[in-house]
Amino acid sequence: MNKKRGKDAPPDDAVVSGKKLKKSFSEWEKNVLGKRVGPDGQLRDEFKTRHGQVEKTKAEFRSGSGEVAIKSLYTPLDLLQTDPVEDIGFPGSFPFVRGRDPLGPQAASLPMKFYSGFGGSKDAKERYKALYAAGGKFISIAFDLPTQLGYDSDSSQAKWEVGKVGVALDTLKDLEDLFDGLPLEDIRTGTVGNCIGPWAFALFYLLGQRKKLQPQDMKIVLQNDPIKEYTGRGTYIFSPQTAIDLASDVVVYTCRNLPFGWQTQFHCTTQMRWGGCTASQEIAFGIADLIAYVEAAQKKGVAPEELIPRLDLHMTCDNDLFEEVAKFRAARRVFAKVFKKRFSTDDPRVLSLRITVWTGSHRLTAQQPLNNIIRSTMHSLASLLGGVETISVPAHDEALALPTTESTRLAALTPLLLKEECMVCNTADPLGGSYYVEELTNRLEEKSFYWLDQVEKQGGAVACVESGYYLKRMSEEMLKYRKEVENNTRTVVGVNTYVVENEPSIELFEGDPESERRQIEKLAQIRKTRSPAAVQQSLDGIRKVAEKKAAGKGENIVPAMINAVDAYATIGEIFGVLREVFGEYRPPSVF
Amino acid sequence: MEKKIRVLIAKPGLDGHEAGARLIARVLINAGMEVIYSGPRQSTEMIVNAAIDEDVDVVGLSVLSGIHKEATLSVLNLLKEKGAGDISVIVGGIIPAKDIPEMKKAGVKEVFGPGTNVDRVVETIKRIVAH
Repeated sequence: MNKKRGKDAPPDDAVVSGKKLKKSFSEWEKNVLGKRVGPDGQLRDEFKTRHGQVEKTKAEFRSGSGEVAIKSLYTPLDLLQTDPVEDIGFPGSFPFVRGRDPLGPQAASLPMKFYSGFGGSKDAKERYKALYAAGGKFISIAFDLPTQLGYDSDSSQAKWEVGKVGVALDTLKDLEDLFDGLPLEDIRTGTVGNCIGPWAFALFYLLGQRKKLQPQDMKIVLQNDPIKEYTGRGTYIFSPQTAIDLASDVVVYTCRNLPFGWQTQFHCTTQMRWGGCTASQEIAFGIADLIAYVEAAQKKGVAPEELIPRLDLHMTCDNDLFEEVAKFRAARRVFAKVFKKRFSTDDPRVLSLRITVWTGSHRLTAQQPLNNIIRSTMHSLASLLGGVETISVPAHDEALALPTTESTRLAALTPLLLKEECMVCNTADPLGGSYYVEELTNRLEEKSFYWLDQVEKQGGAVACVESGYYLKRMSEEMLKYRKEVENNTRTVVGVNTYVVENEPSIELFEGDPESERRQIEKLAQIRKTRSPAAVQQSLDGIRKVAEKKAAGKGENIVPAMINAVDAYATIGEIFGVLREVFGEYRPPSVF
Repeated sequence: MEKKIRVLIAKPGLDGHEAGARLIARVLINAGMEVIYSGPRQSTEMIVNAAIDEDVDVVGLSVLSGIHKEATLSVLNLLKEKGAGDISVIVGGIIPAKDIPEMKKAGVKEVFGPGTNVDRVVETIKRIVAH
């Protein structure tokens, strides 16, 4: 049947190839933009008179990470090489740039998430009760530094540090006390614990048993991410290989024995970005590190499709909202392409990356701390628009001290308010199709592949850790950033602009100076009341497995760890044995 | 040739967030000073021994974990005990304003918070050493 020309006719060739638009754009550049600003950057027309501007506000506009030069306008012409099907597509299918879930955020719940802790169990529990009452459904326990490093509260290394940056835990009793009166079945919980992964796992596993809960009634999330510690956080104990081996034991045990609500590993790129890395480095180094974890599990018989749905990339969110949205989108597309090639698969379980976020602590200032509420709001918005699945927000007073309960609550509420009142999660990938955001996504993807290639040339993630390659990249960028702040080419409100001299101080959290002494007394009591024979036997069990590992014979350390924690062996006793067998890691001195 | 200023940058205690300490170390080197960076996880004894062994003019402590008072006072006392009280101590990191007077009274020459202009650190060290 002959169709009339008009609406049903195929589009004009000129439209499809962008010829018409190209012509129109050229004319606009010459006749409209050209009248507005000259090639010298001088503003030329009546706008100049009205606003008093003589020049563009900056000689050059760059994205927040400094990586991408930003034009004054983006148009469909920037996307002529971007295929709407191959490169953008739809959520839930390759290349996943628009998200992991085909339904987008319409079915996603966003838990009110806290990372909190200080003092001993008694001190922290009061805050957890308050946070749970405020709606907190996801409470990640912050451990103090001695605990994160496998030291007892009464050890010489723990002096002054007990309960300072998190809760002090020496034995299972501490976690039992922490959750005494809290409904574990209603709270998603876990911790960071990156070089003590097997111990942290055993603690939560046994807590469930003590409370007579079935594993399927619990939601446990453990970071268990040793690689992170070598690049800016510093709570490593063993060599990277040993640490990754111990961490993957937990992953394997979980995938074999426990239901989906137990997530026992995710990789965190926050420290690298905070230490200076650019957005594309954050993507590339993060994905390289994930490969190390997936391959470690694979060697022990856990297939990528079993692990990746229970793994995520925990990124941060920096200041440039559009760049960060593009970053999250690029991360998903890069991950999909890399894993498709590396594991020769089209399985969406392997190719779709879950991203969670801890928003930009590094951008919060000690000066005018209330400004940080604004910053965190923008970080939360960028994260939601970027399709991330959980968000942790630091409190506005955290550049000054541990947060108060109220500042913690306000921070955790921020993304929820954006979602529920400001309706930013009504649809999937709302900025998809924006010429600017799609082009930024393309640029960051390109740069990420460059960095992935560099990492590959170095020999992979572990090699980059050991050689100091990651640290060197961080230092380079950090120095660049500081120079920009100090010559005022980068604005930091309250620090180099809009400065207020002699700011009034705000009320800050103060820990109880007696909590260290109380913890030491509690530990002494536990040493007295437990069975020395059971403890010794369990420590011998740990030593046996560790020695097997050191001799190159694999054995999963988790059962022995559960046994030792169950007998109330202390963290210092357990890691004392492991330190004896594996030795401690000395990092390269790089700055 | 003028003797170069020697600085030990150290992180007492267990906190391993080194980005700030490493940045300052780099800045001081660029300013022509000789810098020894201790790395993280140093006891105050280790720091003082290193300061004496390396014959430094200034010890810069980087502290973010809340142990700034205890660690600083310990370093100052140990330096005095070992007859090295002429080595100056400066501190950077997360230091609540209310703790600064006590630290200065104990002998700390200067305390720098987050966002400090790094040139100020360089000038301060030069000024301290000149006296």
